[in-house]
Amino acid sequence: MKQAFLIILLSVSAFAADAELFEKKIRPVLATKCYGCHSSKLKSPMGGLVLDTKAGTRRVIDSGKILRALQFTDTKLQMPPSGKLPDGVLADFEGWVAGGAFDPRVDAAVAVVASGMSIEKGRQWWSFQPVRPMVAPVVKDRSWPKTKTDRFVLAQLENGKLAPSKAADRRTLIHRVTLDLTGLRPSFQDVEAFVADRSADSYERLMERLLDSPQYGERWGRYWMDVSRYAEDNPTTEATNPAYSYAWRYRDWVIDAVNRDMPYDRFVKMQLAADQLPGATRSDMAALGYVGAAPIYHKDARLSKEVIENLASDDWDERVDAVTRGLLGLTVACARCHDHKFDPIPTKDYYALAGVFASSPAVERPLADMQPGDERRFLWIQQRMIHLNYLANLLTGEPGTKPEEAKGKVVRFKAEFAQLRKELDAMGERYPFIKKYAVRFDPPPQRKAGDPPATRRGNFDRSSDAPFVNAVYDAGMYVDGSDGDLTVLDFQPGKARDLPVFLRGNSGTTGEAAPRMFLAVLSKGAAGAYDQGDAGRLNLANQIFRDAGPLAARVMVNRVWAWHFGKPLVPTLSDFGTQGEKPSHPELLEDLAARFIESGWSLKWLHREMLLSASYRQASNPRADGEKVDPTNRLLWRMNARRLDIEAFRDSLIATTGELKMDGGGPSTDVDLATNQRRTVYGRISRARTNPLLRLYDFPDPSQHSPARDLTVTPLQQLFVMNSAFLESQATKLAVKVEAAPEGREKIQALYRRIFSRDPSPKEVDLGLSFLNGASMQQYTQALLSTNEFIFWP
Amino acid sequence: MIPTLSRRAWIESAFGATGLSALMSNEAFGAAPLGPHFAPKAKHVIFLFMTGGPSQMDMLDPKPALAKYQGQRPSTVDLRTERVTGGLLPSPFEFKKYGKSGIEVSELLPKFGSVIDDVCVLRGVYTFNPTHTPARSLIHSGNITAVRPSMGAWISYGLGSENKNLPGFVVLSPGNGGGSLWRAGFLPAEHQGTQFNNAETEPDKMIRYLKNQHLDAAAQRKQMDLVQALNKDHADSFGVDALLEGRIKAMETAYSMQMEASDVFDVRKEPEAIREEYGKTEFANGCLLARRLVERGVRYIHVYYGSGQVWDDHTSINKNLKKRCPDMDQASAALIRDLKRRGLLDETLIVWGGEFGRTPVSENGDGRDHNPYGFTMWMAGGGVKGGMVHGATDEFGFKAVEGRVSIHDLHATILNQLGINHEKLTYRYAGRDFRLTDVSGEVVREILV
Repeated sequence: MKQAFLIILLSVSAFAADAELFEKKIRPVLATKCYGCHSSKLKSPMGGLVLDTKAGTRRVIDSGKILRALQFTDTKLQMPPSGKLPDGVLADFEGWVAGGAFDPRVDAAVAVVASGMSIEKGRQWWSFQPVRPMVAPVVKDRSWPKTKTDRFVLAQLENGKLAPSKAADRRTLIHRVTLDLTGLRPSFQDVEAFVADRSADSYERLMERLLDSPQYGERWGRYWMDVSRYAEDNPTTEATNPAYSYAWRYRDWVIDAVNRDMPYDRFVKMQLAADQLPGATRSDMAALGYVGAAPIYHKDARLSKEVIENLASDDWDERVDAVTRGLLGLTVACARCHDHKFDPIPTKDYYALAGVFASSPAVERPLADMQPGDERRFLWIQQRMIHLNYLANLLTGEPGTKPEEAKGKVVRFKAEFAQLRKELDAMGERYPFIKKYAVRFDPPPQRKAGDPPATRRGNFDRSSDAPFVNAVYDAGMYVDGSDGDLTVLDFQPGKARDLPVFLRGNSGTTGEAAPRMFLAVLSKGAAGAYDQGDAGRLNLANQIFRDAGPLAARVMVNRVWAWHFGKPLVPTLSDFGTQGEKPSHPELLEDLAARFIESGWSLKWLHREMLLSASYRQASNPRADGEKVDPTNRLLWRMNARRLDIEAFRDSLIATTGELKMDGGGPSTDVDLATNQRRTVYGRISRARTNPLLRLYDFPDPSQHSPARDLTVTPLQQLFVMNSAFLESQATKLAVKVEAAPEGREKIQALYRRIFSRDPSPKEVDLGLSFLNGASMQQYTQALLSTNEFIFWP
Repeated sequence: MIPTLSRRAWIESAFGATGLSALMSNEAFGAAPLGPHFAPKAKHVIFLFMTGGPSQMDMLDPKPALAKYQGQRPSTVDLRTERVTGGLLPSPFEFKKYGKSGIEVSELLPKFGSVIDDVCVLRGVYTFNPTHTPARSLIHSGNITAVRPSMGAWISYGLGSENKNLPGFVVLSPGNGGGSLWRAGFLPAEHQGTQFNNAETEPDKMIRYLKNQHLDAAAQRKQMDLVQALNKDHADSFGVDALLEGRIKAMETAYSMQMEASDVFDVRKEPEAIREEYGKTEFANGCLLARRLVERGVRYIHVYYGSGQVWDDHTSINKNLKKRCPDMDQASAALIRDLKRRGLLDETLIVWGGEFGRTPVSENGDGRDHNPYGFTMWMAGGGVKGGMVHGATDEFGFKAVEGRVSIHDLHATILNQLGINHEKLTYRYAGRDFRLTDVSGEVVREILV
């Protein structure tokens, strides 16, 4: 007892002495000599360093910077700028640091308490609850419902004293569902056959035929690619963030997976962790493009370690955002700088997820099998050689004021580069594709006289059909700032990187450790940190469906509903947190989510459930009583009419001539190319230069996750329709197709069949004939292609 | 693919109101009407952007100490920049006092000197990143990653366009690159900058799809009449629908825009004397077009000097500046003078600058490296004081030490002059409200009239 008391006394007095040293000798100097430039109260403290907080001061102590600067021994780092401190003061600092640098200050930022919802309270949030099939409500009109879905819809309509609309006519219906499932208009023959087919299951058979067609995957794969922000390059393209040569394989993988109705949970797991998922084949590695072809920014080696860390954390942030909003409908990225203000997501959870992506750098993985150890080495060499090449080029081009030092570094970089190049050769003996791959690191062959001039493709289009995919592998990304002039990226395979919390989002001021793990509020059972050996992508993917399955199902069901019905049940498609909106039909969402899971996460099951409903088959025409009671059609008293998106519009334009190519994937083609008759989904998607036509028609920015397209109607779009070479040439080709018809009347009919898949009315024929009296068939054709009917999706 | 029927998306499609308001109740389209938060000083902004980072100590921020300490490297200039630098590099250009205010301007900019009493020179601007792409993204959008909306998109979103036949956010940029700088980001797509290629002088070469290559106006009208007759029958059979009605109107707007834009974007319609005053270069045409657009109610015009990072003088800076400054000098001075003559300078805020400045220390002996620590921009008109210098760098021109203005401060000030409280111009996206100025930014009150 006595002893214990003594220890306490001793430590108290030691505390007092430390505090006195700090308050009397250290703090006054910091305040008068340092805070002027290094204070957290400044908008941009010099060098990003702050000495008025405990954490900031700790940082310069740990890095050894503070003493180095004060001692004036390093010519590049001397502080304060007004001149060296007196020896006595310097001795105080040296003593203080040697004694553990006691600092009694309490940082406000560290003391931040969860300002949002607590984890316990958060667990009660509606969208995190388990789902179970609901009992369909009793409805008055028992004849209208065709599926269970309809009873939920009708119950609310009856509640709102609105009747559903009559069924859409068969021509409208086949247009609607064909555009919906394939992104193409039905042909005249298809429409006529469907109208004539009076058998009870004609609609069902039509739907099944469309679901079985390869065009279905092209359409629904494209929807997914808005969510997964698919593109083939980076917002800027520089040495450390080149374009993604094989991203198109991700696009083809998505289309194929959707066509095969890969269960949604497996579909997502593949995209996060195909390299670890049992049963995944080598070609499934393409799915990793979800992470491996995501946007990254250039890391200029001349920038400081801190700036590079911040740039890298922007990359990780993008992935956290895409994964959490895209798959879970949660805005986790809000918790980067502070605990989420509304949702139960502490900053620590954010950095726990960011660590997964800090450990999953982008690489080009072969489509052929390799021994895991060999592959890891190969991927590391790839990264290292690209980086060495960049560093050597940088210093060769700009040796700066220390040319001798730079020359030495270049020699070292080149030597290591040559060594690794040899190692690739050796690997090439066992893996022939590496031989071919390695050639990219060699200087281009000398051109001989008479050779055709080299074609320069620039940074923009680097697509390749070599047997590789843009993917990721497990390697912690670290930043090596030990060389004061050159900041080097250091990838460490098999050594995942756990991040600390970055206070206020700044990598320079770190808080508590945030080992990689799943969001606390969604975790079931003991929240375990992920292994050190791998990034934890498979753990993450598994937990999304094991722990947060109901939420993931709700989010996806809502997306699919929106794509079918033109309007979601939960208007905030990627925010199911407290700031999101509540569902218009909560029980319907529950029921569909539960049965979606029961179906084995089958998207085709979900399509059938929705498309076979009477709700979907309603007419979309306006109705005075509906407009009055429910102008936004929240209750679904009619189907929503829409404008075609750019893919369906462009594809339909080309299809009118019968020249739309249906032979699928492979490297992309520029949408603007006059000879490009492929479906728009196979057009090149660039983050650096979004195609102007795509942008004109509201294609989303592929540098970030897009919850939904905001479809506008603008005059600039009409200029495209009126004046573009594309429309003119489509009209010209189409006019030629109907030339064979003997008379104006027949020509008009042939055009109507090709463009609108119907025959013209007598009035339309008259309008046409009188227009053609003085104008060309080409002008007439272009006018028809410009009409509302052609771009309308009723 | 999901028409989230935002009110603005329909009512103010890219070129302004399409007259649909009668069809739609506010309730149906939710968004509260936007507009200035308080009485604006300026109605328009012209940003003259010097891509690459122009050199302040050679143009607008005289530093005699550079000559005194030539070649030396005092510890105060030992700041880390993008590249390795050497000793102090003096400016060979002479500075002279101009106007009543007596502000010193370099001999590179004599014409600009003659209008200095209408200009507020900001010598204490600083930024956060020494590399082009992130720094450029920051000055355009307030963030270093290229995903947030550009300032012009924010302004178009906040204030809309005064001219329904022209976009609210016009970009005059030679060539075709750079689209990400004028992105709408998460704002509705209609607010993205519409780029016109001012390397061309003929409007139909500047604007995609502006002119039909085969039809004259009468033939096209006839074609339009057929389209609209078919559209009308189609609408009659379907019923009243905002989308159908909107597209009918948008098509008429597009039709008349062909004439209006052909007129506005044709600098050849200016009197010869005016064209001479601006000088007939690419940049001069950009400045002159900017004035013509201001006269027709366009909110925000971003004029780029050249294509690519033209002011990025890592080597041979003196030679390059001599080549490049004369036409920039002439056109920007002419713009100020011309707007003033027409009584438009008071309601038009001109902003000039690049993504950062350059170092007082040399790179490669005769160049200067990027300098984010301190650089010069200027403003004129739009309720900003003339004949004023605000802020200062240290004795060598490296760091902003007085009157420091961050990029967020700059944005806050520009928005303020348009009657917008930068803290209130927000957009809800991904679970939170976003601002152009992120979480900081203070209006630089000292420079306001």
